[in-house]
Amino acid sequence: MDHRKSCYLALSLLIASATTQARADGETIAVFTKNQTNPFFQTVRVGADNMAKALNAKILHYIPTKPDSIPEQLSQIEDVVVKKPSAIVFTPVDYKAMVPGVEKINDAKIPVVNITDRSAGGKFVSFIGADDYSLGLETGRFLLKTLGGKGNVVIIEGVKGSLTNVDRVRGFNDALKENPGAKLLASQPGNYQRLQALQVMENLMQSNAQIDGVLAANDAMAVGAIEALDGANRKALVIGINGTKEAIDAIKSGKLLASGDYNGFAQGCLGTMMAIRSLRGQPVIAEIVLKPTVITKDNYQPFDVSLEQRTCPSFEDASKLGAK
Amino acid sequence: MSDVAKPAPLPQWSFLSQNAAQLFYRLLAAFLICLVLSVLSESFLSLGNILNVLRQASLTFFIASGLTLVVLTAGLDLSVGANVALSACLAGTVIHQTGSPVLGILTGLAAGGTVGLMNGVMVTAMRIPSFIATYGMLWVLNGVTYWYMAGETIHGFPAGFRQIGSGYFLGLPIPVYLLLVFLAIGSFFAQRTTWGQEIYAIGANPVAARLSGIPVNRRLLLVYTVSGTMAGLASIIFLSRLNSAEADIGESLTLPAIAAVLIGGTSLFGGVGTIFGTFVGSLILTLVLNGMNLLSINANWQPLVTGIIVIIAVWLDMKTRRPTA
Repeated sequence: MDHRKSCYLALSLLIASATTQARADGETIAVFTKNQTNPFFQTVRVGADNMAKALNAKILHYIPTKPDSIPEQLSQIEDVVVKKPSAIVFTPVDYKAMVPGVEKINDAKIPVVNITDRSAGGKFVSFIGADDYSLGLETGRFLLKTLGGKGNVVIIEGVKGSLTNVDRVRGFNDALKENPGAKLLASQPGNYQRLQALQVMENLMQSNAQIDGVLAANDAMAVGAIEALDGANRKALVIGINGTKEAIDAIKSGKLLASGDYNGFAQGCLGTMMAIRSLRGQPVIAEIVLKPTVITKDNYQPFDVSLEQRTCPSFEDASKLGAK
Repeated sequence: MSDVAKPAPLPQWSFLSQNAAQLFYRLLAAFLICLVLSVLSESFLSLGNILNVLRQASLTFFIASGLTLVVLTAGLDLSVGANVALSACLAGTVIHQTGSPVLGILTGLAAGGTVGLMNGVMVTAMRIPSFIATYGMLWVLNGVTYWYMAGETIHGFPAGFRQIGSGYFLGLPIPVYLLLVFLAIGSFFAQRTTWGQEIYAIGANPVAARLSGIPVNRRLLLVYTVSGTMAGLASIIFLSRLNSAEADIGESLTLPAIAAVLIGGTSLFGGVGTIFGTFVGSLILTLVLNGMNLLSINANWQPLVTGIIVIIAVWLDMKTRRPTA
């Protein structure tokens, strides 16, 4: 009897605390990212966590266990539509294939913010992203400027057919077109993989006696190319994209010339901020395309702190960061 | 495990001669690719490029050689790539924490071997078909590695350790020495030892093998453990060559390793194949990629070219193979 009573008591206390806690903790934001393997999405998630903490909201992460899996993200959406979080911050694993999923979220009347890859359809509160083309263009320009507008250059491409790769490589090529003195020796696929980039670079060094610059579509491939150059005792200027910690370390030690910052952290911050602001009836910015930052040995310091210690941009900053 | 569908086990002597003929054609295929490439690209036949190809082939070979033993028993190990990723990340952490490359190497080998042993236990004691057991293991390993690494990259290792993957000795890259050593050990083990021949027998006909007194489960445990340990070795080579590791390095390693085994002439039905064939298979895959880079073939066409060459290689092999039944 006593036991049962205390059980009920505990239960009711638990319910009471759960409900009050829910109120105190504010809104629940479901954050969808593409995978657990790419360091970029880790920066997105930490950005979202930091912003939610600052605004007293709670984050639930939804990540496909199989990287970039379309069916898995679809089933996670079905899940979330039932659980009904206050709002959703959404990165489609595929910008076309996930449109039906977004429509399901719209039908369930859950406000959703689109980050990173722009969805081909559906209704969003806001879009926060970076522009792969200008990232490729700006980092490419920086490399060619450092080379004095001339020299032999190779491109190491990412996964064929992925949106990010198409735009980044287009940016690289346009930077090359602006510098007629530079020669593109080869443009070969490294599939965003370190090992494949290393092997591509080893092979290209066999057929090209002089390589002055390497444009790699992400940091892992850039670092792989550097290992290949080191192994052959050759020197070339290398740039990557994403601004990962590894890239920052390589920039610090002078091995990597530069990395284009994809601003995953800011995307996570701002996506979460817009979601919460729309819930609280505050004004939101409909679209922010973050301007690319080329991280070099002159400006790496702000990026050289652990993610958790970085601070999210404020709403006022956000409107200056590239609002359209 | 359907014994009915299998042709009667061939007498032992015929394995060698049949394998020898097959090997000849497979080497011929590799030679033809080399011939075409040396005509098309002047840099192909340079000593530098040959060493380059051998060093690149070594990583695939390490994974594929252990896998060959598994495939010889009519099994499959789908977890090798994920095993490389986890072993590399663990070995890297140990080197960072202790500063000792030796401890790191032992960790990598032990982690790989332990995963292999667990695969073996699932296949023998729990009687789970190897395809399913190792497919499950692939997910378990991915899950553990993703969780453990949390999207981070582990990088920056001591110069001495880096020598294993990127150093030279008497003009030859060190991975090439390792390749030759393991090629010799593997071939000797499979062809010239009783245990090796028992592995062929298990693949050819597991029931007959059991009835003739071969400790089937113990040999199976051995081949899965060896496969895992070789994945552990590959993880060390990977780590020391690339100076870093992250959670997603494994995915792109598994299928090429399986392809190398099959292009090398080892039958998925077990009992037929050689370690040397797997070496040639790794070489063919590497040559194709090397050639495409040297010739600067457009990235859009590369998967297509790889696919066609793999299919032609296996088709030629089947055309030239002596009828077995």
